[in-house]
Amino acid sequence: MGVIYAIARQTVREALRRKIMWIFLVIGVFLISLGPVFGFLSPKDSQTVLRSLGLAAILLAGLFITIVTCIYLIPVEIERRTIYTVLSKPVQRYEFLLGKFLGGFFTVFINIAAMGIVFLAMLYFQEGHHIAPEMARGVMLTFFQMLLLAAITIFFSTITTPVVNFFLSFGVFLVGNLSSVTDTLTTSQNKIAHGVGQFIYYILPQFGNFNVQNRLIHPEESIVNMNAYIVQNIFYSLAYSAVVLAVAIILFDRREV
Amino acid sequence: MTSSSPAPKVSGTKIYPASVKNRAYVLAGVALIMYLVSLRVQATILPMRNKMQETKNASRVIGGLNNEFLLLPLLGFREAAAGLLWVRCDQFFDSGDYDAILPLVRVITWLDPHDSNVYGTGAWHMAYNFTDSQERSDRRYIYPSEALLTEGIQNNMLIPDVKFEKGWENFDKIKNFPEAAAAFQLAIDTPPNKNNHDSWPQGAPLKTWHILAHTYEKMGRIPDAINVWHEAMAISASRIKSQGKTKDFSDWMLRQAEIHNLQEEYQRFHDRYTTTGHDHVNPSKYPGVQFPFGGSNKPGPWDVHITNKITVMLPKVLRFTGTFNSADGARVDVLIEDWDYKPHIDKDSSTAFAVDPNQTILMDSIAVRKDAYDREMDMSKDPKMYSFAHNYYRIVVSYDPRTTAPTMQDRFGWSGEGMTDDNPDRLVVDNTPGQMANKYIDGFGATGPIWDPAIAPWPQYTQPKRMLMITYKVSRDQIMGRSPITDANIVPNQIMPLGPGMLP
Repeated sequence: MGVIYAIARQTVREALRRKIMWIFLVIGVFLISLGPVFGFLSPKDSQTVLRSLGLAAILLAGLFITIVTCIYLIPVEIERRTIYTVLSKPVQRYEFLLGKFLGGFFTVFINIAAMGIVFLAMLYFQEGHHIAPEMARGVMLTFFQMLLLAAITIFFSTITTPVVNFFLSFGVFLVGNLSSVTDTLTTSQNKIAHGVGQFIYYILPQFGNFNVQNRLIHPEESIVNMNAYIVQNIFYSLAYSAVVLAVAIILFDRREV
Repeated sequence: MTSSSPAPKVSGTKIYPASVKNRAYVLAGVALIMYLVSLRVQATILPMRNKMQETKNASRVIGGLNNEFLLLPLLGFREAAAGLLWVRCDQFFDSGDYDAILPLVRVITWLDPHDSNVYGTGAWHMAYNFTDSQERSDRRYIYPSEALLTEGIQNNMLIPDVKFEKGWENFDKIKNFPEAAAAFQLAIDTPPNKNNHDSWPQGAPLKTWHILAHTYEKMGRIPDAINVWHEAMAISASRIKSQGKTKDFSDWMLRQAEIHNLQEEYQRFHDRYTTTGHDHVNPSKYPGVQFPFGGSNKPGPWDVHITNKITVMLPKVLRFTGTFNSADGARVDVLIEDWDYKPHIDKDSSTAFAVDPNQTILMDSIAVRKDAYDREMDMSKDPKMYSFAHNYYRIVVSYDPRTTAPTMQDRFGWSGEGMTDDNPDRLVVDNTPGQMANKYIDGFGATGPIWDPAIAPWPQYTQPKRMLMITYKVSRDQIMGRSPITDANIVPNQIMPLGPGMLP
């Protein structure tokens, strides 16, 4: 664990030094801070826009931060040949990969936490000094969504180049979000469409599970137990990440570097 | 050469240490188990997700969105896209570009079916904001407006907002009081929810009880109205009690208004239907409904003797003149519509709620002064609203005692019991169940039962609404002035229980 921790810590340091990540963070915070601009709407509309845009900004910025951070973690080490130095020491490849994953994961955590704090503070001051626990849940769900995405990006980074990885990861995230469309495909009479729907449902991660913003933004219109749903989604995120990382380790063990 | 590790095995052209191969087996097993676990969790999540997420209209939403708004829904943020579109709607409101708003309202409600404010505002916009050059509403929008509210209610059963809006539109705009009462009652029956700060601990805001009471008044169901006032007063009393010492006296003022309204209810009933205690409105010793104003000693309803003449001044410009022997303050309603008018709704996302340009419907009312009325209806300046593309039209001139001012109801009662017409063809009795009011007087001379508030509610809805109505069937040529509209065009009256412009 000591080795994994050391690699993770170093990865976080390196990631935080990258300007592109800070740019996405600044853009995210900027988008969140745009919320009060819509104060000219009615109070309820203004609240809806503020909340939905805030969550969307955190997701968008988090999405790019996660992908851009994670696609380079392993390829850069190989390209710069620094991986030889690391692996020549008593460090197993799986430890290296897990350390990189955890480093990327903490980097994403720091960024989402920063945006989340700004967002919740904004809500606190905009909504009459009222703390919005449901919005904190929304930020937390986004974080676990990004955890899953980070695992997938790390997985792809063991077999593809960063550019290909970027589009693959983004594509998987997009398709995984289209649950409203893919659900329809699984019930399609067309065999090809049905097969595509089944593939998406059974193989690709269901990012759409995390899209419960509507219930968070309009809490007065739901009596569903959100806590149980959130816990299950966190569990799903952890389980699916474990699957992806296990396969990534198997592939990375066999990769020539 | 010696080594502590076992000899590597050859696998194809590559050689892997045994530890790597062993780890691969373990990891493959772990991956398989965790994959099965994730499938199991997903199977648990799916039914909850389907309950919480709106998957309806996904393809229609995507088809109806511009590129700039497409990314957010694709990433799962339908609400954020809806919010931005609503901001654009606000800009269209400011610039007066009303036609552009409706397709956006359609897409927004598909994107975020729980944004109750969009349903309410969109429906209000359709019902009130499209007008002709004389500020008459385009009644073709009433049905789509109602349909939008009904959809909003179905998508938001746990909040009272859209239900209230539907009630208000029926109360204020359509004058369909039974429908309004049903919608207000539905709002009141909403389960209390702590997250609904405006309502808690009730299911709906207190104003819903107030307007429901007023709706029952309009329907002539006074015991029901009084009961609702009492319910409202009980709620306001508990509010005041829970507030303790406060400098905010708004709830106290509200309670005073409730008391005033309740007392006025009793007073009106007393003045209109009992044989004693009449005031300046009806100084006779008899109820106004039997001896209307004028000092007549002849028992029986008052003959209002309604007459009407339609003169076509110019193509699509009709002048209505007539007599109505009531009192100043009465209003005669006018309806002009296609003879086969059917409400129409367009559900396509790009042309949502667009009305049929070939349909024509006009509704207006004319004030009565000194027992006569005179008004010109100019439809020539608004060809988009009044295309007159059909061959035949229905013109209805009517008087409804339920929608008239209280001063008129003082004379004729809540249900028009106190009025009649010497031409029996012009008196229409609406026996539609939803229009039946409480019956207060069975016979002339006050021999019928008198309602006793001590035993309220009196569950006897047997008093039909008595209306005055003259219906014409005219041709397009007549509207265009090629031939005159005469009494020969008068046809038998027809009750439209849901109101003109509504589906039967």
